[in-house]
Amino acid sequence: MSEPLKTEKAASSSGLKMMSRATYFREAALKNIFLLCAVLAVAAVGLIFVFTMARGWEVVKDPGLAAFLGGTEWSSSLGRFGILPLINGTIAVTLGALLLGAPLAIGTAVFLSEIASPRMRSIVRPAVEMLAGVPSVVFGFFGLVMIRPVVAELTGGMGFGTLTASVILAVMIVPTIATLTEDALGSVPPGIREASYAMGATTWQTIYKVLLPAAKIGIIDATILGMGRAIGETMAVVMVAGNAPQFFKGLGAPIATITSQIVIDMSYATGTHKTALFGLAIILFLISMGLVALVRALSRLNTKKA
Amino acid sequence: MAALVLALTLTGCSGGVERREVVVTGSTTLLPITEVSGEMYAEHNEGVSILVSGMGSSAGIESVSTGSSDIGTSSRELKDAEFELGLEDTPVAYDAIAVIVHPDNPVSELSTMEVRAIFSGVITNWQEVGGPDLPIGLVNRDEASGTREAFSKIIMDDAQFDRGAVVLPGTGQVRSVIADIKGAVGYISLGFVTDDVKAVSIDGVEASEESVVAGTYPVQRVLHFFTKGEVSDVAADYIEYVLSPDVQDTIVREAGFIPITAKDGSGE
Repeated sequence: MSEPLKTEKAASSSGLKMMSRATYFREAALKNIFLLCAVLAVAAVGLIFVFTMARGWEVVKDPGLAAFLGGTEWSSSLGRFGILPLINGTIAVTLGALLLGAPLAIGTAVFLSEIASPRMRSIVRPAVEMLAGVPSVVFGFFGLVMIRPVVAELTGGMGFGTLTASVILAVMIVPTIATLTEDALGSVPPGIREASYAMGATTWQTIYKVLLPAAKIGIIDATILGMGRAIGETMAVVMVAGNAPQFFKGLGAPIATITSQIVIDMSYATGTHKTALFGLAIILFLISMGLVALVRALSRLNTKKA
Repeated sequence: MAALVLALTLTGCSGGVERREVVVTGSTTLLPITEVSGEMYAEHNEGVSILVSGMGSSAGIESVSTGSSDIGTSSRELKDAEFELGLEDTPVAYDAIAVIVHPDNPVSELSTMEVRAIFSGVITNWQEVGGPDLPIGLVNRDEASGTREAFSKIIMDDAQFDRGAVVLPGTGQVRSVIADIKGAVGYISLGFVTDDVKAVSIDGVEASEESVVAGTYPVQRVLHFFTKGEVSDVAADYIEYVLSPDVQDTIVREAGFIPITAKDGSGE
């Protein structure tokens, strides 16, 4: 991987010497513009982080770290800002989304990479990619109108809650997981696949015993990134989760997540309440940083093994 | 009064056709009044635009006190902490909060006590209030809502809302969800009640203009415009316009609210 890159670089730097002055300056300017782009992107992340931290760190004073991290009640009118029910809700909804969405996405990826004819692939792949482009408010509306009544029928409640949110999120994370899993399956060396078939293995045996284990880390990566998407999703969740900051009481009971609570409260929050919302944002930040770190650690593991 | 309006209008217009804006933020309940009257006002006054948004009463009070809007609309009274903000109150209409259920729900009357028990989660089945054997689906508003605040003050007393209730961030959403779910119950401003849902009588009194004016319907409230300090000419003029019979007898009434002039007898 790193070999061809080096030679390319060498070629371009030796080419530079033969450039006219004007070309040289143009090249240098371009290089700096791209550097600026990269710096701006990093600065944006840095600024957001610093801003959120600056506004949110005061949760340690008021309401206090123990009341914030260990509190079991979130109610702005009572001045209680305990995030446990929200964390509980986020975990419940995300877990549900992964249980439903990951198998669906991995199945789609296997189909695309191993089974589908080129013609089939040319239909299914763009469809999956299009799913990624659907705005989340549309998913939410779809969930509200189509999924909620079905869930209400199944659970006997009103249909707002964990199950509806999970189903919607499951569909939303399919493109993320499917695309990355397909990449992982595609990067399994063809020799391994051919060896398996040469041993007389069937397609199913090859997929199940050879390909999926070989692409295991890539698939876990994909699933973690899908999880990140599910944790961060807001609009669709607000529309179908019922937004009641209570502990998980069953698949059909309303629930609130970290993101949904922020969006419900942010328009009117002041004082401690606002600080607590920024505190929630810090928690979200830490979670997504943790997930990115996990993915990086895993892919390092992967390259070491390969 | 009319002279004052005229005077304000004249001073407001004396600057030629410069662009002037009035930012109105706050209660979603008041949107039918502010949006329509804002459009009408802008039509009659060249160069003026009334920017209306509905983010909840608390957001309106917050934004007028920080100066990011000229008028903060609210469907609830100020809380103790908000009295210190030094806001000036202009009541613009009366409103009743209706307790609504699905049209097929045979329950059509509840007592204040029953409503409280339902919303605090003590009564969980319609059977307990003379209805069918059907679990009650509670629909609540978010805590930014003035309707929730007013409802809580009038009905709930010291009782807490059931934390398991579905929380929806808008009046229209509450109505459409209740129109859709057989066992659901919620509360919205009387002005938003349509045939899709059924308003139940409270303590034997139906929610209507007559019962609000007579003071017999228990769940009623005043809708407010809040301003802070010196108000711009055009904002003051707009407020006068909203209080004039032009708006009170047409827009306010059509939106299902009750003119502020109805009770004091000064309005015709």
